[in-house]
Amino acid sequence: MSMTAPILEVSGLKVEIPVRDTVLRPVRGIDISVAKGETVAIVGESGCGKSLTALAIMGLLPRQARLTSDRIDLNGESLSEASPRRWRKLRGDRIAMIFQDPMTALDPCYRIGDQMAEILKQHRKVSRSAARERSLELLRKVGIPSPEERLNQYPHQLSGGLRQRVMIAMALLCEPELIIADEPTTALDVTIQAQILRLLRDIQRETGIGLILITHDLGVVAGMADRIVVMYGGEVVEAGTCDEVLARPLHPYTEGLMRSIPVPGETRRGETLGFIPGVVPRQTGDLTRCGFLERCPYAHASCAEGSIALRDAGAGHLMRCVLPAAGSGRDPEAWTRHSEASS
Amino acid sequence: MPPVTHAPPLQIAVSPTRVAVGRALRHGSFWVGGLIILVILLAAIFAPWLTPYDPSIQDLGQRFVAPVWAEDGSWAHPLGTDGLGRDYLTRLLFGARISLMIGFLTILISGTIGTAMGVAAGYWGGWVDLVVNFIITIRLTLPVVLVALVVVALIGSSLSLLVMVIGLLLWDRFAIVMRSATQQLASREYITSARTIGSSTTRILIREIMPNIMGPLIVVASIELAHAILLEAALSFLGLGVQPPNVSWGLMVAEAKSQLLFRPWMIAVPGAALVLLIFAINLVGDALRDVTTPEGKA
Amino acid sequence: MLFFILKRLLVTFLVVAVTSVIAFLLVHMSGDPAAAMAGEGASASDIAAVRELFGFDRPLILQYLDWIGRLLQGDFGRSYYLRMDVVDVLAEHVPVTATLGVLALTFALALSIPLGVLAALRPNTVIDRISLWLAVAGQALPSFLFALGLMYLFGVYLRWLPISGDSTWAHFIMPSVALGYYATPAIMRLTRSGMLDVMQADHVRTARAYGLTPWRVVVRHGLRHAIVPVVSLAAVQLGFMLGGSIVIETIFSLKGIGHLAWESIQRADIEVIQAILLLIAVAYAILTLVADLLNAALDPRIRIS
Repeated sequence: MSMTAPILEVSGLKVEIPVRDTVLRPVRGIDISVAKGETVAIVGESGCGKSLTALAIMGLLPRQARLTSDRIDLNGESLSEASPRRWRKLRGDRIAMIFQDPMTALDPCYRIGDQMAEILKQHRKVSRSAARERSLELLRKVGIPSPEERLNQYPHQLSGGLRQRVMIAMALLCEPELIIADEPTTALDVTIQAQILRLLRDIQRETGIGLILITHDLGVVAGMADRIVVMYGGEVVEAGTCDEVLARPLHPYTEGLMRSIPVPGETRRGETLGFIPGVVPRQTGDLTRCGFLERCPYAHASCAEGSIALRDAGAGHLMRCVLPAAGSGRDPEAWTRHSEASS
Repeated sequence: MPPVTHAPPLQIAVSPTRVAVGRALRHGSFWVGGLIILVILLAAIFAPWLTPYDPSIQDLGQRFVAPVWAEDGSWAHPLGTDGLGRDYLTRLLFGARISLMIGFLTILISGTIGTAMGVAAGYWGGWVDLVVNFIITIRLTLPVVLVALVVVALIGSSLSLLVMVIGLLLWDRFAIVMRSATQQLASREYITSARTIGSSTTRILIREIMPNIMGPLIVVASIELAHAILLEAALSFLGLGVQPPNVSWGLMVAEAKSQLLFRPWMIAVPGAALVLLIFAINLVGDALRDVTTPEGKA
Repeated sequence: MLFFILKRLLVTFLVVAVTSVIAFLLVHMSGDPAAAMAGEGASASDIAAVRELFGFDRPLILQYLDWIGRLLQGDFGRSYYLRMDVVDVLAEHVPVTATLGVLALTFALALSIPLGVLAALRPNTVIDRISLWLAVAGQALPSFLFALGLMYLFGVYLRWLPISGDSTWAHFIMPSVALGYYATPAIMRLTRSGMLDVMQADHVRTARAYGLTPWRVVVRHGLRHAIVPVVSLAAVQLGFMLGGSIVIETIFSLKGIGHLAWESIQRADIEVIQAILLLIAVAYAILTLVADLLNAALDPRIRIS
């Protein structure tokens, strides 16, 4: 593995939200690092805390949320005690975020050009014409045809795919070091999805920015990510290189996720896709046992005997489970029995 | 571990009215507002028994007697007397009678007109809706105070005319709210199914629609009660509302205007009574609004 | 868009036409205009003379058409009491009321919009409760009482402001506040709820995510959206203020059309009353039309589609 300096280093990230008479803990101690030119995918279903983690890294948590961490370093600068002013300077400039729904992420009352110029002027001292030039340059880079026209248009005049390209262009305006893409393709057509992902990958190769890709869709991950972090219930339950995790999923949750993807050529018509029965639990209090217990087909007594630590199963492949790493010990029929029992 | 299933606890169906009343009783504003209104109402009803004086009989030997908190005041006239020697507290109590009576009578009239128009517009839609909307727009375009003044000035003012005029002017909000409430109902399934089984329109209106628009109706009624009382007060203040020998709080303020410099309490007392009453009505109205909105609110 | 404008213009015209009929009927059918003008203690022959002189004996429809005809030629009739053309009388009084209305609305907006925004940015805190109580108090206080209270505090007790007349700007301060505060609760509440909604919107999150200053986020991307319904409301409230100015103008002796209307009603100066009723109605109709057009103009989605 190359020893490129990490752009982002986060350890022990916790988010708590006091709610009436209790405290929600949607994020319980996450470690993430992103190196230059690296794509890290955060995978998990809704409610696992991945979006909140992204917001935390951007300093965008809602007012009521409490953030604690051992470390949040962006390019060596420590951000755990950063003032809101410092965060404002960084956001959009050194670290940018692309949101899920391009329909609503842009302000419908202002032209594309004005919104882009506003960002540039916020972080750089540029003239109007220089801002326009830079915006055009980026619109071209993301593959938008007739960019001069588009600059003068309002968001509702563009299609969904074009709007997402505009969002990517906006993210690149100030040449950030890190981009966080939160479900960038979920709201788009399948054909457009592939285009957007390819665009992101090309840009990354060209500029060497770090990319955090947040998604619930493992299919998206396969061609894009260098490393995968699987989250469940506010914790990292598995992490490793993309090839490793996809080929040898260790944590039962990851197994379950893999089983629910149809494989072209293998899955036959009419076959039931695997699914993980149950729902994501509400996160309050400290975990004194495995968070995945209720939904795990391999659950047994030792799973409930205290919180499970994250351990290295070899070559940087981390897992949070008491099961042995070598997958041979697992019962291949366990999942089928489990889904039948729950229906 | 096999999932354990529990049967949901047995629930007794509770009617929406009972739910609403229950919520109202737990609402703080409802109690405070309701209490104030009750006190004023009782004072108004029992006015003749609460005071030995007559509100309109003048006693020029007793002009401008000071209220009890001033140096030469006494409990004989707790709020003093006015420029014609009439006991102020008595006038306050009898003023409550008139203000409340006019308020309730006018919303009876405006409520009937407005609800009829609104329900018709909401239920039948189409041309009826267009015409009703047009009429509402016309009503909104006319300046209410001015119109009332013109009519009262040119015809001559009497209590019944006053009630008629205010009642015929303040129906717009009733119409607007009842229209949208009826619209929401009319599209729901149980109305269309009632039609399918052949229920006559009248039957549908009475049995299905009316009970369900009671909630918004009561809320609007409270708002408009406040408006009606305020309008009457303004008209009386301008001298074209309640006329002597009747008393109204607005009239009391008008008569006390010249005393702004030397005896400001003569304005403040009926003024405070007005504000208190309107405030209480608003409190109850807010409580009712919170209580009759569908469950998502609480 | 053009179709929209035309439709609204047609409706406005119809509304104004019907209102003119109502204004006319109100004045001519509320009792006997001839008797009112002749005054109390007039003999039957006096009244008959007045009736004949002013043409009140003709069929109503003819009188109405005559009035409209003259109106369209710019002749608003003649004030029998002031012995002037109504146009000139109005021209003398309209500026005062217009000034009062605009100042009152400005006061209302300047007070309620910032309060509404602040209350939305810090819900359920002190500022939110204060603005809520202000709104409640505003609704419960009749304008004539508030006017008298202001007059007492600032005019009599503190002697900071003049209490009658309309010659200087200072003369308009208390009347504007007394007229404008009644609109404050509605505007504040609408601003607050609109801001609460818009601050949760995705595009506001984007604006924050790109490090825009709080001012830009709240005002350019938040308030810009929330203000749209407020514009309509403000126009409508201005219309109400024009009609409600009569109370304030009489209390503070401002010689505006409200005051003129008041005097004309007492003198049964028919032509003036009619003209004022119609004038205020037309002003309100135009204001609502402007409000609708502004609404459409402010939302590019309606404009460019």
